Amino acid sequence: VTTYLDERPRPIRRVSRYVAFAMIALLAVGGLTARLFYLQVIDGGRFAALSARNRTVEEAISAPRGLIYDSAGRVLVTNVPTFAVKVRPADLPQAMRPQVVDRLAALLNLDPADINATIDSNPGSNFDLVRIAGDVDERVALLISEAGFELPGVEIAVEARRQYTYGPLLSQILGYTGPVSAEQLPNLRPLGYLPDDLLGKTGLEDEYETELRGTYGAQSVERDATGRQTQVLQTIAEASPGDSLNLTIDTKEQIYAEKALKWAMDEVGLKRGVVIVMNPQTGEIKALVSLPTYDDNLFAHGISNADYQALVEDPDKPLLNHAIQAHYPPGSTYKLVAGTGGLADRKISSSTELITKSYLTLGATKFYDWNRRGFGPCNIYCGFGHSSDTFFFQVAGMLGIDRLGYWGKQYGFGSPTGIDLPGEVSGIVPTNQWKQDALGEPIYPGETYQSGIGQGYDVVTPIQLINAYAALANGGTLYQPQIVHDIIGPDGKVVRPFEPKVLHEMDVPASVLKTMRNAARAVVELRHTYNLVELPIKVAGKSGTAEFGTRDKEGRLPFHSWFVGFVPKDAENGSFDRTDSNLVVLAFAYDSRTKGNVATEIVKYYLQQHYDIKKDYRLPNLLERGNFYQSN
Amino acid sequence: MGVIRAQPARVTDWAAKSVGAAWRAFDLQLMTYAALLVAVGLVMAYTNSVEGGAVPLEAGTTFTRGLMWAAIAVVVFVFATAFDYHWLKTLAWPIYGIQLGLLVLTLLIGDGIGGSARWIAIGPLTFQFSEMAKILMIIVLASYLSSRTRRLDSLRSILGACLLVGPPLALVMLQPDLGTSLVFGAILAGMLWMSGASLRWLAVLGAAAVAMVPFAWTYLLHDYQKERLASFLNAHPDLQGAGYQLNQAQIAVGSGGLVGKGLTNGTQTQGDFLPVQATDFVFATLAEELGFIGGVVLFVLFVLLLWRVLVAGWRSKDAFGTLFSAGVASMILFQLVVNVGMVLGVMPITGIPLPFVTHGGASLVSMAAGLGILQSINIRQRRAAW
Repeated sequence: VTTYLDERPRPIRRVSRYVAFAMIALLAVGGLTARLFYLQVIDGGRFAALSARNRTVEEAISAPRGLIYDSAGRVLVTNVPTFAVKVRPADLPQAMRPQVVDRLAALLNLDPADINATIDSNPGSNFDLVRIAGDVDERVALLISEAGFELPGVEIAVEARRQYTYGPLLSQILGYTGPVSAEQLPNLRPLGYLPDDLLGKTGLEDEYETELRGTYGAQSVERDATGRQTQVLQTIAEASPGDSLNLTIDTKEQIYAEKALKWAMDEVGLKRGVVIVMNPQTGEIKALVSLPTYDDNLFAHGISNADYQALVEDPDKPLLNHAIQAHYPPGSTYKLVAGTGGLADRKISSSTELITKSYLTLGATKFYDWNRRGFGPCNIYCGFGHSSDTFFFQVAGMLGIDRLGYWGKQYGFGSPTGIDLPGEVSGIVPTNQWKQDALGEPIYPGETYQSGIGQGYDVVTPIQLINAYAALANGGTLYQPQIVHDIIGPDGKVVRPFEPKVLHEMDVPASVLKTMRNAARAVVELRHTYNLVELPIKVAGKSGTAEFGTRDKEGRLPFHSWFVGFVPKDAENGSFDRTDSNLVVLAFAYDSRTKGNVATEIVKYYLQQHYDIKKDYRLPNLLERGNFYQSN
Repeated sequence: MGVIRAQPARVTDWAAKSVGAAWRAFDLQLMTYAALLVAVGLVMAYTNSVEGGAVPLEAGTTFTRGLMWAAIAVVVFVFATAFDYHWLKTLAWPIYGIQLGLLVLTLLIGDGIGGSARWIAIGPLTFQFSEMAKILMIIVLASYLSSRTRRLDSLRSILGACLLVGPPLALVMLQPDLGTSLVFGAILAGMLWMSGASLRWLAVLGAAAVAMVPFAWTYLLHDYQKERLASFLNAHPDLQGAGYQLNQAQIAVGSGGLVGKGLTNGTQTQGDFLPVQATDFVFATLAEELGFIGGVVLFVLFVLLLWRVLVAGWRSKDAFGTLFSAGVASMILFQLVVNVGMVLGVMPITGIPLPFVTHGGASLVSMAAGLGILQSINIRQRRAAW
C-alpha cells in the first residue's frame, strides 16, 4: 500500500464562496448607496434646512434705550457701552460645563455656584442666551472672546449700561433697570423681550418702560458650533431707539430740597424724611426727595447679592419711596379738611367763634388741647392759626365722620393721586362704612374728634398731602401730580406734549378756600411757626405733629413732624386772597421728636435757597431732641 | 509500504525571475484604486485643515501630517511588495508574539481619550498598534489555516482559528476598543468563509456569537458604549448628548445634496458642528462637500479595490495568498460598511476608521502593508506544478 501525501501548497478556490462574498459586498455597498441617496437627494431639502438653522440664528438687535432729561435739559441718564458675558446653554456640552463655569468664575471674579444657579434658573429655553455678568472689564471680555473653543457656548455681547448722572439724588424718581425675571418672561415674550433682556424695575424706568425701550430689530446671523457669531447675513428689521423723557423735575430744586432735608436729618439724627416741591397750577413735581435712598448706578453695574440684601433689610427701607409708597398719620395738617368742611357745610362761618378750652369731655374721656390752657374764644383764623385741637374737635363733631370723610376725599385723600411713579399707596379716609368694612363696627364719637385733627384712622401719603394743599393754593382744582413733562421721539419730535391732568374740581365755594388760605397765612403770622413770618417772602402753610407707635415709660408717644406751605406768585407782596401760587413745598420728618417742628425748618431752608435769601433764618435750637409735645 | 511525498519547492523557486516578469504580474489597478482613495483622504484632510483656520501647508496641520503618513505608507508598500510573502508563513508564530506584545504594550503605556489606552507616542507621532494588529492577525490566521488546507471543513480548524483570534481580540476589548475587536471578528468570519469551512459549523459559530450578546452587554461593554448603542436604537435620542454626533453627521450628509456644497464650503464641517470630522466622521465631510456624486465615486473606488483584492486571492496558487486576500477584503468591506453606515445612521457609533480615507497614520500604514503583501503574492505566482 502506498500512501500518497501531497504536501505541496494547494490553491483553494471556492467559486460559490467567492460569489457569495461578492454578493454580500455589492449588497452592502448598494445599501449604503441607497441610504446615501435617500439622505442627500430625497430628504436633502429637510437636512439643508436643518443645516441652515444650525448655523443661522435670528438675533434681536437691541434698541438704544431712551434718555431722561430734567426740566432744564440736564441729562439724567445716558447709555454707556459695556461688555456682557452670556451663555447659550444648548451650546455648552454638559461634560465641559464644570470647567467652563470654573474658568468664567475665575475670570469674572464670581462664585461658580452663582453662575450655575444663573444658568439653571434661565427663564428662556436652552437655546436662549443667559446673562452671566454685565459691565465686564474690556480686557476680561477680550480674553473670553479669544478663549474660543475652550469656552463653548460663551458669548460676549456689547450692551448699553445705564449711567445715572446724579446717582442717589434722583434714584427714587428714576429707578433702575434689571434683568427680566423668570416670572415676567412668559408675559413679556409676546412683547419682544428676550430672556437676557433688561427692563425697568422701578421708578420712571419701570413706569415708562414701553416708551423708553423702543422697538427691537432683528437680524439673521451665521454662527459656528460653539455659538460664536461668524457673520451677519442680513438685517430683517432695523431697531428703533426708545423715546426720551423730559421731566418736570428741576435738578437744581432737587439739590436744594435734598440739601435742606439732609441738613435737618444730620442735625436731629432723623432716619427718614421727605421733601416735595410742586407747582400747584399744573401738578408738575419740581423736586421729590425721599431719604434714605440708594445709588441706582449700583443696580446698573449689577448689584451684588450682599449689597442688595443690605438694602432690603435696612429698617428705614431705602428702596421705598416714602413720598408715595408709604402712608403716615397727617396730624394737624389734616385740620385743613375739618376747617374746609365746617365752612362749606355751614357748620361755622369765617367769623364763628368757638370756645377753646383746655379739654373737651366726651362721656368719661377728656380730649385735651395740645395747649393745656386753651385759646379762649376762637374763630377759624385763630383755631387754624394756633392749631387748636379743641376747636377742631368741635368742628369735627359738628360735621360727623362721614362728612369729614367726604371733605377728605374732596382733597384727594384715600385714593392714589395717579403720579407717574409705580407703587403709590392710597392712604385711608375713615368713614362709618370704611370702619364697618375694615373692623366690623361703627365709628365712635371720640374717633371722629381724633380724625378732625389727623390722629384717627386717617393716614396719608406725602404726595396726597402736598396735592391737597396745592388744591387749596390754586383755588380748588385737584391735579394729578406729574413727573414726566413731555415725551420726545428718537427723531426729536414731541410724541406726547405736557398737559395738566385734572383729577377733579373741588365741590366747594371759592370763598371757603380763600378763608382757609388766609387761615394758613395766620399760622405763620401768629408765629405758630416762629420766625417764618420774618422771611422776606410770604408763606402760608400748616405744620403737623403726628403721634404714632407706642408710649414710652412716661406715657409719651414718638411723633412725626410735617409742614406744608405755599407762596403766592408775587412772593414778596402777593395776597392769599388770590389763587396764583406756583410753589407748594412739603417736608416730612419721620419719628422726629424735636422740641420745635423740624419740618418747618426744612421748608424754610429750602425756601431760603430757592429764593436766594442771603440771611439765614434757621433756628437750630428748635431741633433738639425732646420726646414731648410742645408745639403743634 | 512506501510513502511518496510531494514536497513544496524551495523558497528560491518562487522568486520572481526578473523585474520585468514581476512588473507584469504586479497589479497596477489595485495600486491605482488604493492611491486614489488615499488622495481622497488627503483632500479631506486639506478641507478639514482649512476649517481649523490654519494654512493647510503649515507644519502640524491635519493635511501636512496626512502627506507625511502617505509618504511613509508608500515606503511600507514598496518594502512589503519586495518582501517574499512566503517568509510570513515561516514567521507566523513570532509575528503572533509581536502582535500580542504590541497590544499588551498599548494597554500598559497607551494614551487615549476618556481613560482608554489606544495610542502610543513615538516621538511627535502617535500610533495605534491595534491597526497594525489587524494585518498581523490576517497573516497569522492565513498561515494557520493554510497549514490545514485539507482539514479546513473540520471543527478543529474553526476552533483553532477562534482560539488564535481570542487573545488579541480580548486585549483590544480591554483598551477598550469595541470597533477594532469587531473588525477582528469580521476578519475571522471572512477568512473562515473563504477557506471553505463547513457551513454547518459556521452556523453554529454564528449562533454562539449571537448568544454571547447579552453576556457581552452585561459584562464587557462600558457605559459609554452602551449609551451609543442605546442612542442608535432609540428613535428620539438626546440630541445634545449621545445623539449629537449622529444628528450633526446626518445633517451634514443630508444638506450636501446631489453635488455637495463644494470643497471647504461645508457649513457643518467648517462651522465645527461635526465632531471628529477628520477621523471617524470623515465621510460626513465628504458627503457634505462633494455630495451624493462624491459618495458614489468613493463607493465605486472601494468596490473596484475589493475586486482587485479578491482577484489577487483567486489567482494565488497557494492557500495562504487566497486566505490573506480574503482577510484583507473582509477587513476593508467591514470597515467601509460600519464606518459609512455609522455616518448614515444605519450603524451604531464605533471608532472604526474608513480605510485609506480616515486621517490616521496607523490605519494607512497597515493598509499599505496589507496591499504590499498582496502585490508580493501577485508577483510571486508560478504556474502550478501540476
